[in-house]
Amino acid sequence: MINMDRKHVIYVLLIIVFAVYVIRLFQLQVIEQEYFEEKSSDNSIKVIQQTPLRGVFFDREFNLLVENVPAYTVRITPADYDKKNNEILENVLELDSGFIQNLMQRNRIYSKYLPLRVKRGVEFKVIAWIEENWQDLAGVDYIIEMQRAYPFGVMSSHVFGYSKEISQRQLERDTDDYYVPGDIIGFNGLERSYEKQIRGTKGENLILVDSRRREVGKYKDGKKDTEALKGKDLVLSIDGIIQKIAEEELGDRTGAIVAIEPTTGEILAMVSSPNYDLNMFSYVTPRAFLHELMNDPKKPQFNRATMSAHPPGSTFKIMTAIIGLELGIIDDKSSYFCGGGFTFGRFFRCLGKHGSINVVTAIEKSCNTYFYQLILKIGADNLYKYSKKFGFGRKLKIDISEESAGLIPNEEYYRRIYGDNWPRGILVSLGVGQGEVSTTPLQLAHFTALVANNGQSYVPHLAKGYLNENKNLIPFTFPEEDVEIKQSVFDLVKKGMYLVVNGNGTARHLHIPDIAIAGKTGTAQNPHGEDHAWFIGFAPYENPKIAICVLVENAGFGGTHAAPIAKKMIENYVRRKLNLFPPTVAEKSIEKVSPNAN
Amino acid sequence: MRIDYKLNDKFDLYIFATVSILVVIGLAAIYSATQNTIQAKGNFEKQLFSWGLALVSFFIVYSLPTTIFRVSAIPLYVFSILLLVVVLFFGKTAGGAKSWINLGVFSFQPSEVTKFATVLVLALYLSRKNIDLENLKHIGFTLILGLIPVALILLEPDLGSSFIFLGIILSLMFWKGISLFGLFIVLSPAFVAVASLFGVVYLILAIVTVIVLLFLFKRDIFLSGSLLGLNIASGFFVDYFFRILSPHQQDRIRSFVDPMADPLGAGYNAIQAKVAIGSGGLFGKGYLSGNQTQLQYIPEQWTDFIYCVIGEEFGFVGSVIVLGLFLFLFIRILRIANYAKDDFLGLVIIGILTIYFLHFTINIGMTIGIFPVIGIPLPFVSYGGTSLLVNMTMLGVVLNIYRSKNYT
Repeated sequence: MINMDRKHVIYVLLIIVFAVYVIRLFQLQVIEQEYFEEKSSDNSIKVIQQTPLRGVFFDREFNLLVENVPAYTVRITPADYDKKNNEILENVLELDSGFIQNLMQRNRIYSKYLPLRVKRGVEFKVIAWIEENWQDLAGVDYIIEMQRAYPFGVMSSHVFGYSKEISQRQLERDTDDYYVPGDIIGFNGLERSYEKQIRGTKGENLILVDSRRREVGKYKDGKKDTEALKGKDLVLSIDGIIQKIAEEELGDRTGAIVAIEPTTGEILAMVSSPNYDLNMFSYVTPRAFLHELMNDPKKPQFNRATMSAHPPGSTFKIMTAIIGLELGIIDDKSSYFCGGGFTFGRFFRCLGKHGSINVVTAIEKSCNTYFYQLILKIGADNLYKYSKKFGFGRKLKIDISEESAGLIPNEEYYRRIYGDNWPRGILVSLGVGQGEVSTTPLQLAHFTALVANNGQSYVPHLAKGYLNENKNLIPFTFPEEDVEIKQSVFDLVKKGMYLVVNGNGTARHLHIPDIAIAGKTGTAQNPHGEDHAWFIGFAPYENPKIAICVLVENAGFGGTHAAPIAKKMIENYVRRKLNLFPPTVAEKSIEKVSPNAN
Repeated sequence: MRIDYKLNDKFDLYIFATVSILVVIGLAAIYSATQNTIQAKGNFEKQLFSWGLALVSFFIVYSLPTTIFRVSAIPLYVFSILLLVVVLFFGKTAGGAKSWINLGVFSFQPSEVTKFATVLVLALYLSRKNIDLENLKHIGFTLILGLIPVALILLEPDLGSSFIFLGIILSLMFWKGISLFGLFIVLSPAFVAVASLFGVVYLILAIVTVIVLLFLFKRDIFLSGSLLGLNIASGFFVDYFFRILSPHQQDRIRSFVDPMADPLGAGYNAIQAKVAIGSGGLFGKGYLSGNQTQLQYIPEQWTDFIYCVIGEEFGFVGSVIVLGLFLFLFIRILRIANYAKDDFLGLVIIGILTIYFLHFTINIGMTIGIFPVIGIPLPFVSYGGTSLLVNMTMLGVVLNIYRSKNYT
């Protein structure tokens, strides 16, 4: 070593360092290039999700019921924001004191350059104030985001439902990995059941960010960006006008209305009262509002139209009659004697003394005695079997998920409760729709539709279909229904229902000269308070266009309280459908959206 | 005689051209790294101005009589040591180290000047007739001359520059003809110290290696024993030494041992530098199109991490070209060391080459993950006025010695 030429040692050293560095560079830049390229992209490309617009809802006449409107969202960017402005901003935005401090505290793990949403749905005058004072409000800005609006003036909260930010539990159940935190998802009603159709397709904007996550431009000038595609617009079977009438007529009474087109099963109106304000559910729901809603004894969020099960009262006599006729226990000539009541173990009262009457008159006069005797011959199991066919005691599986089954007892049910020797007297009141039978307004409306259309219809539904790119209606398909009951049976019960309105029945005040309405009133005994008023009916008698069920809770007699609402809706709807009158004045104020307009 | 022959004889155009290309590449990279940043706006123009100044200095030093280096060695050394003392009291802190002297109009790092002064004074001492590097006293005096500035610079504390000084001492002793055992005496404590940074297992392995080597040298027991003692002491003193380092330097050493331990802290630069270079690929992302560079993923990239810009935007090809330019430059300078008319000038050339080479090796090594990040600029390429001025001045010395080679 000592004698070695030291210059050559240095040469070797230089070459070694050079070689090692070239090899290292080759490793980094050629062999591992893909890995580092990816790292580098991850570093600097931020994917900004483009939220698609949710599909809007039209009614069957293409009136816009639910739309998207721009709403202002106020944001702060913590890096530029001065905390001195907390108080004034909280005042202007009507937020609780400390809200902004809290918000910033919760988000402090994220970059200071990421804007935080302070409040959505801010009024324009606040935006104007921000514009005026922008110099003193560094780090405060606003963006426009879409929010649901209900331009037709019908709220139909239970039908439309609301959409809001996805919850942690929903995210966990999202097997397609479509959603990310912060996404909007339908929570109930149609917003939920047609979520996949109306949510649309997300887009992506690729944004270049620097090391401090500040946005500095578009990645590849936006060539790799994808646009969000708006969700499908739904065409509902709802008729906006009678929906509005139904909402107005129920007013602040507690109750529900369901109207169905008998031939198609399309739900023309569905109202549950009291309503609640869907606007309050857009994005962040104020806590006070939720508290109020939860503690309201009338339970506004509960969809009475599909979920409240009450004894159907006398409206159920139609069902009893159909079973009796179908089973041949009675025919059009057979009669029972009514002396003002019926004794079976105890005395069961009738509201009148109808003497010897047949089935048509028994329906017309709503004679209890007739059906007391008939139901004993039918028996619990037959009642159960045929009621199920007509949709009682089970969920109809309509296209919103909020639905209850109601109750139709059978012999096994009674045995389970009372033992083998269950008192047959219990059965007696079932014949007139009292006691241990309960139905929802939807079930009764569906039943009425089946009767009106002679046992054939479709599973009731709220959406007809969606609009394709050319604004043509692409219909959804729904299962057909046929209860397979003899035509003569329907002829007789419908005749009875016709006479209820047009003969000497309990709803004579519904009579309209040019529209033949058939119906049946009912009063459900309510051990907790005033009786519930029912009315079912359809019109026109010959070629039914609408079948309807009205429930007014704690109102008393069905003919007095429920039937007049049905009359108004039927009259309006049938007149328009059959052109019995020129279009009503109300329509002028409604903006028509034609399906073929661009 | 023809003019071009004369020119080639007096001036190594290859060296000058190579350095000029490196400076231009550096300017381009500085422009790329700073065009989007607010705090470094104008750095390109400043560097261009520094280059002009450096060229003036280069030509002045080039045309000075060669004897001036011998004469000025001791005064320059004393002066620069004084500067290092001054900086400890009146210095300006940057990057955790008090290493700058602010002269109002501009500020500079005395340690840059001290490197050259130390080269001169060591060359002067080692070129004395009676110097024998088998003599422990002579080794000791050489070490003392070299370690005084190291001690002062460690107080700033500037770890990176201290390493350069150790390299200078070593390479000059090597060029002078130190024996293998002499080299071992100087090197082994440093080797043990570095090994101890990586943990107890490495420390024990290093000490075992030292013991084995001591056996092989077959020196007397007393000498071997005290050397072993020195080694073990240096291994354990690293811990003490480590603690006197500034926190950011401690972090950098820790992050070199395990860069992923704190990927957003001290290891951040090392990782982002590798990402920048690796993602450049074969041909790079194109000038001004490297997202790591343009989006400022590497803090102060125009100084110590300038090589990342080249790696990212010009790829493997560009990176290797820069390596090649340096290799060519070093080989040319090494040739001049051979031609130097006396020991002193040869040692000066080797000292300057060592400064260039160590800066080059450590700087590029730290950007490609071979060395820890210790804040050493890349000669001629990195942004920095003092560094460019001193490097060009030293190049003036090199070419001055080249010019003088044929005259004695």
